[in-house]
Amino acid sequence: MDVFSSAFLVALVAGALRQTTPLLFTALGGMFNERAGVVNIALEGIINFGALAAAVTVQLVEAPYLAQDPNVRIWWIPWLGVLAAMVVGTLVAWIHAVVSIRYRADQIVSGTAVNMLSFGLPSIVLLFLYHNTSDSKDIAHRILPMDAYLPFLRDFFSTPVGRILDQSPLVYLAFLLVPVTYYVLFKTPWGLRLRSVGENPEAADSLGINVFWMRYQGVLLSGVLAGLAGAYLSISELNHFTRLMAAGRGFIALAALIFGQWHPLGILGATLLFGFAEAFRILIEGTGILPSPLIQAFPFVLTMLVLAGFIGRARPPAAIGKPYEK
Amino acid sequence: MNRLLAPLVSLVFALLLAVSPWFVAKRSFGGRGVLLAPFGVVNPSGARGPVPELGWIGVAFWGWVALAVVAALVFLLLNGERRARALYLLGAIGLVAFGLEAFLFYHLVDAVNAAALAEGARRPPLRRHSLSLGLYLQLFFALYLLVAARMSQPAGRGLLIRYRGVVVPLVSLLLAMVAGGVLVWILRPIPGVREGLSTYGYLVGKFDLVTYTFQLLFGPVLSLPGLFQSAVIATPLIFTGLSVAFGFKAGLFNIGAPGQLVMGAVFAMFAGLYLPGPRFLVLPAAIAAAALGGAVWGAIPGWLKARFGAHEVINTIMMNYVAVSVMLLLLSKNEWSFFGHVVHFPFKAPGYEPKSLLIHETARIPMFIQMLGFKGAGPGELSLALPLALLALLLVYYLGRRMELGRRVIAALGAGVLGYLVGGVLPGIPAQVSADLVSVRLNGSFVIALFAVAFYNFYMWRTKYGYELRAVGLAPKAAEYAGVNITAKLVLTMAIAGALAGLAATHYVLGGGIDEYRFKQSIPYTVGFDGIAVALMGQNTPVGVTLAAFLFGVLLTGGLQLNIQLGISRELVTVLESLIVLFIAAGGFLPRYFVEPLLATEALKRLEPGHALEEVR
Repeated sequence: MDVFSSAFLVALVAGALRQTTPLLFTALGGMFNERAGVVNIALEGIINFGALAAAVTVQLVEAPYLAQDPNVRIWWIPWLGVLAAMVVGTLVAWIHAVVSIRYRADQIVSGTAVNMLSFGLPSIVLLFLYHNTSDSKDIAHRILPMDAYLPFLRDFFSTPVGRILDQSPLVYLAFLLVPVTYYVLFKTPWGLRLRSVGENPEAADSLGINVFWMRYQGVLLSGVLAGLAGAYLSISELNHFTRLMAAGRGFIALAALIFGQWHPLGILGATLLFGFAEAFRILIEGTGILPSPLIQAFPFVLTMLVLAGFIGRARPPAAIGKPYEK
Repeated sequence: MNRLLAPLVSLVFALLLAVSPWFVAKRSFGGRGVLLAPFGVVNPSGARGPVPELGWIGVAFWGWVALAVVAALVFLLLNGERRARALYLLGAIGLVAFGLEAFLFYHLVDAVNAAALAEGARRPPLRRHSLSLGLYLQLFFALYLLVAARMSQPAGRGLLIRYRGVVVPLVSLLLAMVAGGVLVWILRPIPGVREGLSTYGYLVGKFDLVTYTFQLLFGPVLSLPGLFQSAVIATPLIFTGLSVAFGFKAGLFNIGAPGQLVMGAVFAMFAGLYLPGPRFLVLPAAIAAAALGGAVWGAIPGWLKARFGAHEVINTIMMNYVAVSVMLLLLSKNEWSFFGHVVHFPFKAPGYEPKSLLIHETARIPMFIQMLGFKGAGPGELSLALPLALLALLLVYYLGRRMELGRRVIAALGAGVLGYLVGGVLPGIPAQVSADLVSVRLNGSFVIALFAVAFYNFYMWRTKYGYELRAVGLAPKAAEYAGVNITAKLVLTMAIAGALAGLAATHYVLGGGIDEYRFKQSIPYTVGFDGIAVALMGQNTPVGVTLAAFLFGVLLTGGLQLNIQLGISRELVTVLESLIVLFIAAGGFLPRYFVEPLLATEALKRLEPGHALEEVR
């Protein structure tokens, strides 16, 4: 493919939007816990668990319907998978929250434990359900791109602009969450309380804010959003769960969070950068200009460069990473 | 001891005892067992054959219930020294009863087998019989009574807090095992289960399933080849565990051990393929290359942290991904095109398999069996060289306490070399080596690992650098004020941590730890993550890390059997590991004075009046 053709550009932008989506979900989630003063390195693991929950739920629920009629499509089944991913993401985040807030553990160690759990536990579940340790069964009920839901716009979706906009509803949801989270975090009393807990928990406590409960909410919310990212990967991008599906996205999202200065708009910009890098990588890999392993390393090197270049200017929430002592 | 807690423990114990299998009369492949429980024989798979008559099992059960009730009453009614004496007595009775039951069981099984053989059976009918959960519970209950007795004496609880470095990991291990057991209970059916199992049989069967899972996991400790195989798996874990512990001590979290290991393997591969010269130069150089590769990969995130303040956690993780990319680049294809220029990789083995060429003989680390002087399976001589060297080294090191440190180390090393030479000249001890033992790929990098442990101990607690490093970890600002160069310290610490992880590659590449003396893409670099669990479980102490590495070595070795016999993924061990990390991070859910040194000191002062300040570590 010619690098400067319009087809390449369309593929690049459309791919970038797809690649940005899980990062955006996760980084926006991470914003809530970090603004509340808790580091959540477990996001990577929560994505994995969310992806697993979505794929398994959809597969188990659709199986009896498909047994009756292989061509049946029921609209609510994929959304049930999304819900399952959010619930499981919340539960896993709750583990991290209990250990790091209630038991004042080292938040990075606790998060790492959750990540390690997400490497091992899915294999056991997959072996139990599907008799192999790496993949779940393909599902029939994916969350499809928009043209499946809006058939009357099918002509529009075949134009170049249309092909860029022909994305999963979850992509739209991710970008819609940017203004929503901005409003919630900066324009509501709840957002002010959440931020105060991350900046100066003692002061917040003296004003009668329940520091622990606010922090729990921040972490649980990050679990909801990272779970969504997982659901996007397993039942929208693909049609099954693969082991280690998050593939570093949780960590890259954390870098994007720092790069984006813990602000929704900054996060949008940062995740778009990484999204474009990833889409570019995928397109370049097909051309065979460079050995594919070198190209695969590109987003990770970019993450390190971005972190090194911008971290000096970043001002994290003042109380981040410190367990609160009442 | 809380007054309500003790009766609760007794109650739970009695209930569990009632529904536990006490003995397994026989176990066939796939985990099907004939289980002996207090209220009858449970045979989920309907296996036929004789079963030993344990008429006394019901009596024993009610005896234990009586013991539990008396123990609860002791907790409620007695105090102080009288409670301690009563509990000591009960604990001792429990231990004796446990021993008696175990003896009787084995005796009866032998009788059944002997009778069957006398009647002309070709093989004994009761093979692979064992004790089971009920007996383990009894043992633990007796030990619990003894510990509780000690707790009731003056300064008893202080003792528990003083040994918190052991208590917290052990409690975490126990909790992780319980959680793992629940997982197995939910996910797996009772092996060979048939229709019509009673509720009691179901409970006993499930408890047996969970027990058998852990029996398999811990099984390797029972045989010499099993232990050797555990040591094989423990070797890289010791390295990566030390690597993570090294970072922890300086307040750094090194999640980069997998990448550092891979880079160590890359450097070791190049050294092993291209270094010319005699063995006594090439081998040390290749080992040093492995360390260097890891050191470079560790130093980069260290430098990024020191120079830009970029957090080492994200950077080490990114470095892992990049290292894997480097490995794929080197091993997955013979030829790559860079902007149209075709580059041929001569070190890659021809063909599709992602692996390098075999490294030179001169760079290979010998097998452990060979280092002990054996040529192969069958009769041979145990050379005294290695044991004597180790003995002399340790002897001189410990006897030379009066010497200045530098001289002491040199003297010890000299004594080691001397011991090696003397032992080499002396005639060996004749011994038999089984083929099982020879096939285990335990190699000299295990000895390197032990040296790494010694180095860690020495560097961290016996040198100025180690002192500075620990100071940085405890209070960076104070250390900087006292004149420590934080920037240099961060880079150096990460470099050494990386070097330790890189040395793990000596096991895989130079030592042929898996099967061949080459760098293969299947190198299990995730042992770098296991290092986190090893370091936490070992509480960052040299002995602790070694023991923890062995523990996980045993579990991972046993995990293979788990997959074969019960169809449970070996990943159960990874789950246990991550739960252990989680629980240790949460301080084992114990009171906080178990976790924080300052609170521990306060608690000790409260519990042990007149007790001097404990050393805060």
